[in-house]
Amino acid sequence: MSKATAAARPIGPAPHASDPAFVADATVEVRDASVWFGQKVALSELSCSFGPGVTGLLGPNGAGKSTLMRAITGLVGVNAGHVRVDGRDPRDDRDVHRRIALVPEDEAVPGQLTARQLVRYVAELHGVRGAGPADRAIETVDMLAAADRRLAGFSKGMRQRAKVAAALVTDPTVLVLDEPLNGADPVQRASLIALFRALGADGRTVIVSSHVLSEVERLADRVLVLVHGRLAAAGNHRAIRDAMDDRPRHVLVRADEPRRLAAALLEVDTVAGVSLTDAGLVVTTTRAGDLATAVAPVARRLAVRLREVRPLDDSLESLFRELVR
Amino acid sequence: MTTSTRPGAPLAAIVKYTVRACLPTRRYLLLLPFVGTVLFGLLSQISDEGAATAFARVGATATHTLILPITCLILGDAILGAEVRSGVFAFTWLSPVPFRTIVVGRWLAGLIVAAVVLVPAVAVGAVLAGATASAGPAAVAAMAGSGAYLALFLAIGATFRRPVVWSLALVIIVERLLGAVLAGIAQLSPGWLAQSVLVGLTDVASDLARKGIPLGWAAVGRLVIVAGVGLAIATRRLRRLRPASAAD
Repeated sequence: MSKATAAARPIGPAPHASDPAFVADATVEVRDASVWFGQKVALSELSCSFGPGVTGLLGPNGAGKSTLMRAITGLVGVNAGHVRVDGRDPRDDRDVHRRIALVPEDEAVPGQLTARQLVRYVAELHGVRGAGPADRAIETVDMLAAADRRLAGFSKGMRQRAKVAAALVTDPTVLVLDEPLNGADPVQRASLIALFRALGADGRTVIVSSHVLSEVERLADRVLVLVHGRLAAAGNHRAIRDAMDDRPRHVLVRADEPRRLAAALLEVDTVAGVSLTDAGLVVTTTRAGDLATAVAPVARRLAVRLREVRPLDDSLESLFRELVR
Repeated sequence: MTTSTRPGAPLAAIVKYTVRACLPTRRYLLLLPFVGTVLFGLLSQISDEGAATAFARVGATATHTLILPITCLILGDAILGAEVRSGVFAFTWLSPVPFRTIVVGRWLAGLIVAAVVLVPAVAVGAVLAGATASAGPAAVAAMAGSGAYLALFLAIGATFRRPVVWSLALVIIVERLLGAVLAGIAQLSPGWLAQSVLVGLTDVASDLARKGIPLGWAAVGRLVIVAGVGLAIATRRLRRLRPASAAD
């Protein structure tokens, strides 16, 4: 059987439906995947799946996000385990690449080519006929004005958009985007986020990594957190936070008389500790919900005016810190 | 969007792209092999030998041992190795195009550039040397030698992370040093075989070619086989290639 015509093969029994690392309608399946480069382990027995919609891939530098994305597209073969896209091995089955596209994080582009030439080249490799699709892809990323300039002269953000256009021209059902918003200005970011969300809503599997965590919160319906090549958490970011109930949370309380308030708060059951900082009181609690209802009565009893009560670690950024600690 | 593939369309796209990508920004650099070959052609006039013999001797000592391999080494790196190192090759690798088509396309592109750079150079060199009848054979030798060298350098580019170093090792250590003493290596050496093509297709003494190597069209045939083997190895190695990324 030739590689191109090999039948799609499932890679084992479906995981438990309630496991947030997996989706029911998976187009991309990763099972017990390990990748190492010499002595360095980039992915370690990682199992997860991706389906239609936008999935955010998060983790600190060196967590294995790019390696996972390259394994999903076949650029890197796994040393152990399996990766399947639509039931096929992207490393060995060239036909998979009709359905999958990658926007790599690298700034590397063929600098001698113009953006239009790059997009047309990728289109021709995928058998996409005519100039129309290439022009539409370039227009989608708002690059028509710069389409005939050489890529060598592009900024990082423009290169990323050119690569997004080159990915879109193949009309992929699985789109893998490694830090696609790097270097883009705020307007372009908003435009690209809207584009990726629309592609996800259109039923495509969109996998996005980013180090700008607020953007991932805006982008992704579902988040996978990688730490040291392993899956540390999966779900939406609030669900991940709920799964970490046993870990302390921090709440910033700004008030007119912080020392008096701090002394009073230490007597509240849900408060594990209070520290006075330049920004205000940082209250450590294991039950943030209870703290929120307890702070105001205490302040009222002391006649202290509250100026701000804000969770410090409800963002994905703080979640990272908790997970890698 | 229409995604039906026209036969040959990806090959043509790869050839066109690779020719664009491997041309240096400073195009005048392409003239360097031309300048070198013309210079060596002029130098051969100093010899007291007949023009054809003197030109063939220049071929043995300069054209086929220096200009041909170094030009092909630079082109061979440009058509694959440099892109693999930079990560740009991912644009081609991440396509449904079969690996053999990618390899053949890149090789053809290199051959086109080599033909533009080397063939006029050796022909003009022969004319300037006064060996006008050697212009055709010199062009055949340059083309056949380029084809074999480029295929071998493609195979090296698909196999090693530092293809320039390995390619230089092939030319200097394997071909020149080992090939000078071991006939078995010289039998498969593009440089020695290209010289045999020139000597065999011109009316000069056969001692200007390496002993034990076929001459003329037989040497061309041997170069075609070497090219075929190189392309097959490159195709096989491309399957297992890990194109670099910024993280590597």
